Amino acid sequence: MIEFRGVNKWFGALHVLKDITLSVEPREVVVVCGPSGSGKSTLIRCINGLETIKDGDLVVDGQRLGDRATNMTELRTEIGFVFQAFNLYPHKTALENVTLAPIHVRKIARGEAEASGREMLAKVGLGDKFNAYPSELSGGQQQRVAIARCLCMRPKIMLFDEPTSALDPEMISEVLDVMVGVAEEGMTMMVVTHEMGFARKVAQRVVFMDAGAVVETGTPEEFFSDPKTDRSRAFLSKILRH
Amino acid sequence: MIWFQLQSLMGSYPLALRGLGMTIALSGISLVLGTILGFALGVLRTSGSRLLDSIIGLWVDLIRGTPFLVQIFLIFFILPELGVELDAFTAGIIALTNLAACFICEIVAAGIRSVPTGQVEAALASGLSQWQRMRQVVLPQAMRVSLPPLVGQYVLLIKDSSVVSAIGLTDLTRVGWLVVQRVPNGLLVFAIVGIGYFVVCYPLILLARRLERRMSAAHGEVQL
Repeated sequence: MIEFRGVNKWFGALHVLKDITLSVEPREVVVVCGPSGSGKSTLIRCINGLETIKDGDLVVDGQRLGDRATNMTELRTEIGFVFQAFNLYPHKTALENVTLAPIHVRKIARGEAEASGREMLAKVGLGDKFNAYPSELSGGQQQRVAIARCLCMRPKIMLFDEPTSALDPEMISEVLDVMVGVAEEGMTMMVVTHEMGFARKVAQRVVFMDAGAVVETGTPEEFFSDPKTDRSRAFLSKILRH
Repeated sequence: MIWFQLQSLMGSYPLALRGLGMTIALSGISLVLGTILGFALGVLRTSGSRLLDSIIGLWVDLIRGTPFLVQIFLIFFILPELGVELDAFTAGIIALTNLAACFICEIVAAGIRSVPTGQVEAALASGLSQWQRMRQVVLPQAMRVSLPPLVGQYVLLIKDSSVVSAIGLTDLTRVGWLVVQRVPNGLLVFAIVGIGYFVVCYPLILLARRLERRMSAAHGEVQL
């Protein structure tokens, strides 16, 4: 579904992605972790073209990014992206947020889009917040609207860029619960997160990145109980200490 | 003496009305055209093309950095030399539209730049086209920032329209000049001219203030 082959990227002189080779199968849930600045966000932002790669191949849903034949706007409709800072449209209600792209991009009739939008908001536990503006919602609620906004497009892939990092601790679990639900329905997911509980519960694989390179990959059990490299051991001891 | 002058002024009211009409027509048409053009330029300026940005930027700086009177003279007296004949009204409309477009372009571009990149990325990620991103996500939020200064700019432009009297258009200011030749009381005549402008501008000033207050109440979008 997603395949990186020898991908490199630089920000000026900074080598942010170093020779990444990695593939994600359909219905697979992959958690990406690593210290800050290790390139994990950049990695998943490349998949929907928010960042461009310098060399190597990146094939998403059978289409090679950067090819003339690849219509990036069309491909993006198949990829949901959840941001750390939610990025809901502040001038639109929850329901308007989730129906904007279905109506304007998928060309679904408004009534139909609103019906499935309500259904989706109810599914993430916001059945009573259809007409609330983002400023009237808590962080956890906003992030759940953001997830519903992606799901309303019926994407093939969902990408999560540190979806709980901007949340107060008591709101993290309500967002993770929704993500677990999405994973259990068989969505192909790539999740940048340090929530190791989530990784243990639903991930088939954990990818550990450091300094722009993939250092280690393995199942959650392997990775957490028996990290293979010094760098992953050091990282785990820091995040699991508390 | 003052009674006689007032009587004489009363006789000039059809001329005054014509002048007021001319000022309103001139500003109204120029503001509508200038707003459309200014929005288009503001959107182009922020579209990511460095070439377009610097061409528009240069033109805006040129217009903002030269007196409006000089611009009107260039359009009205110099263009005919190059074979473009214009009547005074058209020349006035062109000059004022251009001036309005340049100021509005900057206001709109500043508004667009104030929208966080996360908003554009969210719109991009959900597959909205460039026009849809602008129309649905960026402009409504940019307007929140732009609307109060935009209305404020309208007031300045209406007042700037008085400069067109220099090429012989019978607007409110020129009516003042004509009347004062018959009624030698400059203070009185131009006080009335001033009131004429104020009557047109004051509602806009109130509107701008109202919009500014509403900004804090609205959810990222100004509702009129």
